[in-house]
Amino acid sequence: MEKVLQINNLSKNYGNLQAVNNVSFNVNKGDVYGILGPNGSGKTTTLAVVLGIINANSGDYQWFDEPFSKLARRRIGSLIETPNFYPYLTLWENLQIVAKIKDAPEKDINYALGVADLLKRKHTNFGHLSLGMKQRMSMAAVLIGDPEVLVLDEPTNGLDPEGFAEVRNIIQSQAKKGKTIILASHVLDEVEKVCSHVAILKSGELVANGRVGELLSSEETVIIHSEKMDVLKSILNDSVLTKEVYLEGEDLAVILNEGLGAGDLNAFCFEKGFSLSKILVKKQSLEDQFLQLVK
Amino acid sequence: MKKLLSLEKIKALSYPTFKTLMIIHFLLFFLVVLVVSRIHFSIPGFSVKGLYQFPNIWEFFPWVASWFNIFLTIVLITLVGNEFSFKTFRQNVIDGLSRNDLIKGKLILIFTIAVYTFLMVLIAVLIFGIIFTKEFSMNIIFENSYLILVYFVQAIGYMTLGLLFAVIFRNNALSIILFLVYFPVEGIIRLFFKSEYRAYFPLKIISNLTPKPEFLTIASEQSYTNASGNSSLDFSEMGILPEDLPLGITLAMAAGYIGFFIALATVLLNRRSL
Repeated sequence: MEKVLQINNLSKNYGNLQAVNNVSFNVNKGDVYGILGPNGSGKTTTLAVVLGIINANSGDYQWFDEPFSKLARRRIGSLIETPNFYPYLTLWENLQIVAKIKDAPEKDINYALGVADLLKRKHTNFGHLSLGMKQRMSMAAVLIGDPEVLVLDEPTNGLDPEGFAEVRNIIQSQAKKGKTIILASHVLDEVEKVCSHVAILKSGELVANGRVGELLSSEETVIIHSEKMDVLKSILNDSVLTKEVYLEGEDLAVILNEGLGAGDLNAFCFEKGFSLSKILVKKQSLEDQFLQLVK
Repeated sequence: MKKLLSLEKIKALSYPTFKTLMIIHFLLFFLVVLVVSRIHFSIPGFSVKGLYQFPNIWEFFPWVASWFNIFLTIVLITLVGNEFSFKTFRQNVIDGLSRNDLIKGKLILIFTIAVYTFLMVLIAVLIFGIIFTKEFSMNIIFENSYLILVYFVQAIGYMTLGLLFAVIFRNNALSIILFLVYFPVEGIIRLFFKSEYRAYFPLKIISNLTPKPEFLTIASEQSYTNASGNSSLDFSEMGILPEDLPLGITLAMAAGYIGFFIALATVLLNRRSL
């Protein structure tokens, strides 16, 4: 698998604050890679370091199996934090600057403005746009030069639901074209719906990393109900089947060990003389997993 | 290089503040030289017209324009400071420029502004010189014309110092205030050094590239023979005018300082986060 980005033991601190601590992960070609984490977890800092705008204290990173170079930068379209453009220039002039830097043809400007639904405003000064439009303008700039990789940091910030959906559509359409996308967000639904892989950061440290499907299915919670719940809870706690058993309202929530399913649990309870009046498999959402990890 | 020039062209020429300030610079310079040309001394034997005649005008106009170099430096600081305020330096790097390209772009801008002001002064010198000089030959016209090139170096010197201030402080207002405050501060610091070292300070070196013309000598219409046999008043000998380093040394020192300002700005921009 062709590696697009390799991050090895990256650390960055601001005085006593450890913003990124020994983070390592790889992004392969074609991945839609989500970086999840609460505010201040180090998502933006990690991306800013790998894009060369913040210097790391230790560790290294490679783009396209090579040290980061000017040429590599032009293969990447990035949006970091807030949209950064010249407020006194029109959208066209701002994108002209981006196109010149990336050696991209000027026809890309119209295409990008069209995708971001800003073509009618191409002669408007950037400073006169609403926050949502500014964010869409950032997406337009990202698309200039038809980059192989898109690095998007909170791309839906400040967008209304319609804008949110539009940006999501842009991301999905780019992913369908086979582009590699790195998406930092704290909107779990966004990541879950769009990403194939996810890294979860907490206080600058990587706490989980893998395919979204794997992270979700690694633990399955089964909700059960029976008579004599206290006794059943005690039996299940001592059983080799379970990882964790806890009360959830009037029911018991059981997290099974890997490789086991609700059928195994049902058979075990039946063996022990318990008839289950309720058995419900609750697949963990990314939100459950995320909240559990960053707790 | 061509790409960086076209980028700076879009950034500067589409910036209304830049255009306004450059027009003000142009008008102010011509206003000053026009107003001064209309001044008449009531002192018999003195006339400012001598300042507008070849070859004195090569000394006088760059000296007047040198004051406006500070204005141009403020314009330059504004343009560089904006890049930090709008975080566009950061975006330019994300899009594919290197940090050295950012400095190169601003050096191209400095060079372009210096060429503009050089041409402005050159044209003004030729127009006013031809109007005010009654009898002239090619020799008289071009005598001292090298001073306009020295003025060009000075413009670059002030603006590279401005670039350094903007890179250090990353804020328009702070950089401009501290740049202006640096003038009296360096003057005070110089007082703590022996007189032979005072001429080597950066601002002193740069400002000495266009020394104040010997107004009294130039404005004197009388041919005066003093006790030592000189045919005009020598105010240096009379102790009225300060003694400075020879121009060659001043130029070499200025070039050294310009190189130092650029190198320091480059190192700072590379080492710090954007």
